[in-house]
Amino acid sequence: MIRRKRTCWTAILLVCVMLVSGCSIWPGQNDSSSNKKVALTLWYWNRSIDDKLIAKAKEKFPNIELTAQKIGGDFKAKLKTTLAARSGEPDIVALNDWIMELFPSEDRFYNLYDLGAGDVEDQYLDWKWKQGVTPGGQMIGFPMDTGPTALFYRADLFKEAGLPSEPEEVARQINNWDAYSAAGEKIKEKFGGKVFLTDNIGTVYNQVLSQGTERYFRPDGSFIGMDSPLVKQSWDTAVSFKQKGLLANADGWTPGWNAAMNNGEIASFVGAVWMKQVLQEAAPDTSGKWRVTRAPGGDGNNGGSFLSILKSSKHPKEAFEVIQWLQSPDNQLEQYKTLNLFPSAPGVFDTPAMKEEEPFFGGQATGPVFAESAQHVPEAFFGERYPSVHNIITRRLNDIAKQNANPEQVWPDTVHRVERELQR
Amino acid sequence: MWEQRALYVAISPFYILFAVFGLFPIGFSLYLAFHKWDGIGVMTYNGLNNFKYMLTDAEFWQAVGNTFMIWIYATIPMLFFALIIAFLLHAPFVKFRTLFRVGYFLPNVTSIVAVAIIFGALFANNYGFLNYLLQSVGLPVVEWLNAPWGIKVAISSMVVWRWTGYNAVIYLAGLQSIPQTLYEAAKIDGASGIQSFFRITIPMLRPVILFTVITSTIGGMQLFTEPQILVGNDGGAGAAGMTIVLYLYRESFINNYFGYGAAVGWGMFLIIALFSIVNWKLVQGKSS
Repeated sequence: MIRRKRTCWTAILLVCVMLVSGCSIWPGQNDSSSNKKVALTLWYWNRSIDDKLIAKAKEKFPNIELTAQKIGGDFKAKLKTTLAARSGEPDIVALNDWIMELFPSEDRFYNLYDLGAGDVEDQYLDWKWKQGVTPGGQMIGFPMDTGPTALFYRADLFKEAGLPSEPEEVARQINNWDAYSAAGEKIKEKFGGKVFLTDNIGTVYNQVLSQGTERYFRPDGSFIGMDSPLVKQSWDTAVSFKQKGLLANADGWTPGWNAAMNNGEIASFVGAVWMKQVLQEAAPDTSGKWRVTRAPGGDGNNGGSFLSILKSSKHPKEAFEVIQWLQSPDNQLEQYKTLNLFPSAPGVFDTPAMKEEEPFFGGQATGPVFAESAQHVPEAFFGERYPSVHNIITRRLNDIAKQNANPEQVWPDTVHRVERELQR
Repeated sequence: MWEQRALYVAISPFYILFAVFGLFPIGFSLYLAFHKWDGIGVMTYNGLNNFKYMLTDAEFWQAVGNTFMIWIYATIPMLFFALIIAFLLHAPFVKFRTLFRVGYFLPNVTSIVAVAIIFGALFANNYGFLNYLLQSVGLPVVEWLNAPWGIKVAISSMVVWRWTGYNAVIYLAGLQSIPQTLYEAAKIDGASGIQSFFRITIPMLRPVILFTVITSTIGGMQLFTEPQILVGNDGGAGAAGMTIVLYLYRESFINNYFGYGAAVGWGMFLIIALFSIVNWKLVQGKSS
C-alpha cells in the first residue's frame, strides 16, 4: 500500500516540477548568462526596420545584447494584450500611425524628452515629431518613416484624354479638387466609362481630410463637431466623386484593386509614398506609364511609424541610444535605399539617393516630389478617438459608393452615430 | 484515505486548467461587462451602461439579424445535402464508400483562412470566377460583395462547403444504427422505399438531427473567421457581413471597448441559449 502511495505522489510531484520548470527555470538561466551585457528586446514588424541595420546595431553597441523580434500577425493586438497583461513587455517597440490610441496610457511609456530627445528635435520634421507627443507634453514616440502624399497618375491615359501629362504641368493645372474632378470627367468621356479617375471613395475622403490642419478633436480633447468645415468639405468632395462616376470602387489590398491597376482601369490616385511599392507589385504591366506629382488640394501625410520605450524597461538610457542611432538621419537614408522607408529627417532629402530616377515611373525621380510634400504637411492634432470616429464616417461613405445609399439620408445618420460613439 | 487524496490530485489538472482557462475568463468577462476598459488603462465601473448601449445600438441588432440570415442561408441547404449524401453513402449500391466518406469530410479539415481567400476570389466583383462564368454565358455580372444578400450568400456558401461533409458523416453513423430488421418488417408489410424513409429513417434519426441542428446553431451564431477574411473587420459593404462575433471582435480589439465587447458576448450567450431551446422544442416535436 505504502509503496503505491509513494509512486503516486512521486509521479504527481514530477508532473508539477515539469510544469513549473517550463515557466521559471529557463528564463532565470538566461538572465544569469547575460549578466555583463545590458539585455534589450525590440518588437517590430516586417519591413519596418531593415534587418541588416539591426545586425549593424548589434556591432555598434557591444555592451548591449539586442534581441529583435519580428512580430507577425496583428501587431497592435499583440502589443495591447501584452500591455494589458503587464508581463513579457519588450524594452523598445515600434508603433504605427495608431500611436494616438496609446496616448491615454502615456504612463506606460518613458518620456523621451527626459532621455534627451530634445537635443535632436531640430533634425526631424516638426509635424512628424509632434505626432509622437501626447497632449500632456510627454514624448512617447520617436520618429521613424513618414508617408507624405502625392498624386500618382498614368501619363499615357492623361495624354490620351487631352490632359497635361508632364508632372509640372499636371501640378500646375490640376491643383485643386475641382480641377481634379473635371479631369476625371474628361477621362470618363474619352474612354467611355472604362477608365476611372481614382480607386475608391475612402481615398478621396482621406486625402482631402489629410490636407487640412484639423481632424475631429481639439488638443484639449473636445470634439470639434461634424459641422467642421474640413470634415464637411472632405465628405462633399468624396460624395461628388461618386455622383460623377469617377470611382472604380476598388478597395486597397484586394486582388480586385491590383487587377484594376494592372489593367489600366484606374488613371490616378492620391497616395502616400509607400504606395510606390504597392503599385509596382500590383501592376507590373503598367511599368513606365506612371508619374508622380504634387497632389491636388495640397500635401498630406498617411501612415508612418514611431519607436517607443516601455516603462517596464530597466535600461531606458541604453534603449534610447539604440533608438536614436537606428533612426539617425544617415540610417533613415540607408533604410530609404533598402526598404523604401521615407525619412522623417529632412536633412537627407538633398542626397543623391533621394533623387534616383525610377524606371517604373518612366525615369522620373519621384523622391523630390515626396520630399517637397513632406516639408509642407500641415500639422494636425488627432486625439485617441480619431480612429473610431474616422472609421464610422468612411464606413458610411462606402455605403454611398457601393450601395448607392442616398447621401442626404446617410449624413444625418452618420452624425448621429458619431455623437453616440462619443457618449460612450 | 491517503490513497483517495492522491487520486483527487491526479485528476486535478483538468479542474485546475478548467478553472484557469474556463471559469476565470467567464467570470472575468461578466465582471468586465459592467466596466469601461480600453484594455490597458484603469477599469471604471460603468453599471448597466454597456448593456443599455447594446440594446439601443443599431449596429448590434444589424449584426444579430445578419447572423440569423446567414445561419438560415447556410443551415437549411447544409443539413438537406448532408442527409442526402449520408443516405447515398449508406445505400448498398455505392462502391468505394470509405473514399467518399474521406472526400466529403476533407473540407472540414481545410484551413478556414485558405477557404475564405478562395471564396473571395470566386465571388469577387471584378475578375471573380463566378462573374466570369456569368459573363461567358452572356449574363450580366452580379456585384456579389457589394449587395447585402450577395455577401451573405458568399459567407453561407463557405459554411455549407465546410460543414456538409461533417454532418453527412454524423447522419451516416445515425443511419447505420437503425436496425435493419425494421426495414425488413416494413418491406414485408408492403411499405414503399419512400414510406420507409419518412416513417422509419427520419423518426429514428430525430436525435441525430437535433444534435446537428444545435451544433450548427452554435457554430452559426459564432461565425467569425469567414466574414472577417472575406469582407474585413467592418463586415463589408453596408456591414452586411457583420456577424455578432465579428462585431464583438471589432468593438473589443479594434475600437478598444473591452467592457462593451464583454457585454456583447453575454448578449450572444443569451441569444444562443434561447435559440437552442426553441430549436430543441421544434425538432423534438410532440413525439417525445
